[in-house]
Formats: sequence, C-alpha cells, structure tokens
Amino acid sequence: MSITGYVILSALLFSVGLFGLIVRRNVISLFFSLELLLNSANVLFVGFSKLYGNYYGELFVFFVLAVAAAEAAVGLAIVVALYRLKGSVNTEDYSSLRW
Amino acid sequence: MNGLFFYLFGFLAVALGLAAVLQRNVIKGGVALLGSFVSLGAVYFTSGAEFIGIVQVMVYGGAIIVLYLFALMTMDLEKMKEEPLRLGFVSAGGFLAGVLFLLIVYGAMSLEGAPSLTVSGAKELASPLFYRFLLPFEVVSVLLLVATIGAVAVGRREE
Repeated sequence: MSITGYVILSALLFSVGLFGLIVRRNVISLFFSLELLLNSANVLFVGFSKLYGNYYGELFVFFVLAVAAAEAAVGLAIVVALYRLKGSVNTEDYSSLRW
Repeated sequence: MNGLFFYLFGFLAVALGLAAVLQRNVIKGGVALLGSFVSLGAVYFTSGAEFIGIVQVMVYGGAIIVLYLFALMTMDLEKMKEEPLRLGFVSAGGFLAGVLFLLIVYGAMSLEGAPSLTVSGAKELASPLFYRFLLPFEVVSVLLLVATIGAVAVGRREE
C-alpha cells in the first residue's frame, strides 16, 4: 500500500467525525465524534512517520493520546455536572450560554 | 499480506466509526467506537507501528471508551431519547464532510512513495521520547495532573 491509503483512511475518519459533530444533538455522541477526529490525525501521523523513516510522528501520537485522555476526563466531568443541573444530555437544553 | 489487512481493518474502522456516529443508542454507539479503535490499532500493527498499536488498544479501548461507558451508567438512558436526525443538518453535514474528504484526497495526490514497514517497538521510541522530547513529555504529565484535579473539582457535588 502507498501513503495514499493512509491519507484516504484518515480523510474518511475525519469526514465521519465531522458529519457526526454536525448531525448529532447528544453530547456523548459529540464526544465520540471528537475522538474520531483525533484518531484520524493519529493515522496520518503514523503514516508519515513510516514514510519519512523517523519516529517523531509516532511520538506525537503519544501526546495526542494524552491530550485525548485529559479531554475525555474533563469533558465527562462537565457533562455529568450539566446533567445534574439540567437533567438532560441534549445540546438544545444547554442554550443558557447562548447570547 | 500487510496491504490486505490494512484495507480490511481500515474499512472496519471507518464502518464501525460510522455506526458509532449514527447509532441512536449511545451504549451501542460506544461499543461500536470501541471496535473502531481496536481496528485502528490493527491498522497500526500492519504498518509496523507495534507499540502505538498496543497503546491505542489499551488507552483508547481500555481507558477512554470504558470511561465514557462508565459515565453513561450514571445517567438515565430513557431521557436520552433523541428526535430523528433533521434533513437540513444531515445535508449540511454530508456536504461539508464530502467537500473536506475531496479536499484532503486532492491535496494528497501530489504525495508519493510507500511507507517502509520497519517495526518500531518501545525500544526505538524510547530514546527520542526521553531525550529530544523530554520537555513536552513533562508538560503532558503536568497536563494530565491538571486534568485529573479539574475533573474532580468540576464533578464534585456542591454541599
């Protein structure tokens, strides 16, 4: 396989994630879409790391993983707090921050 | 052989990711996303990035998805009934996603060459991580500490 395979896989994952981010109204599903976006970047990092023959791209995957874990922890804490406050995980019930 | 498995698991990752995004039941969506991430780990294996593949399965599959599913257990799934997808959003999202996909693939047309399938395990990754990228490594550890404290502080019930 060539590098194009990695790019197409990454682009497909990113498109699916973006589609979910626009279409869904459930906060948990939005988080799933966000994780897909981060993973699409990881695929490209690994592909280019192998293409150019050094390990820096693969190391960046570690940092992306750590940031994704931090994002999941903090985001879920916020969602649980909002769920306690509003009793819902639908984004349309969270409109109090909208101007 | 590697190429066959690359396309097989890549297809699985995209299909399960699509299922995770479109699934109305959030628990089923989470399990589909778990399958997608494990397939991505297999994709990393086929390209020789073995350590990344293992870490992908452990951190994404074992930690992040389980964290989501665990948080979902504290919520009332009956209240998560979502109205059907709206046609306007679906068409806008499909249009944007399609345009983005075509843009990325068009931009990648000028790239050529095949990735070399050298195996990179923990040994190869450790030396650049702990010498060249030592400062980012420490910053990430502080970030994880801050995120832990922040999650506890935000999730704490007010007395």
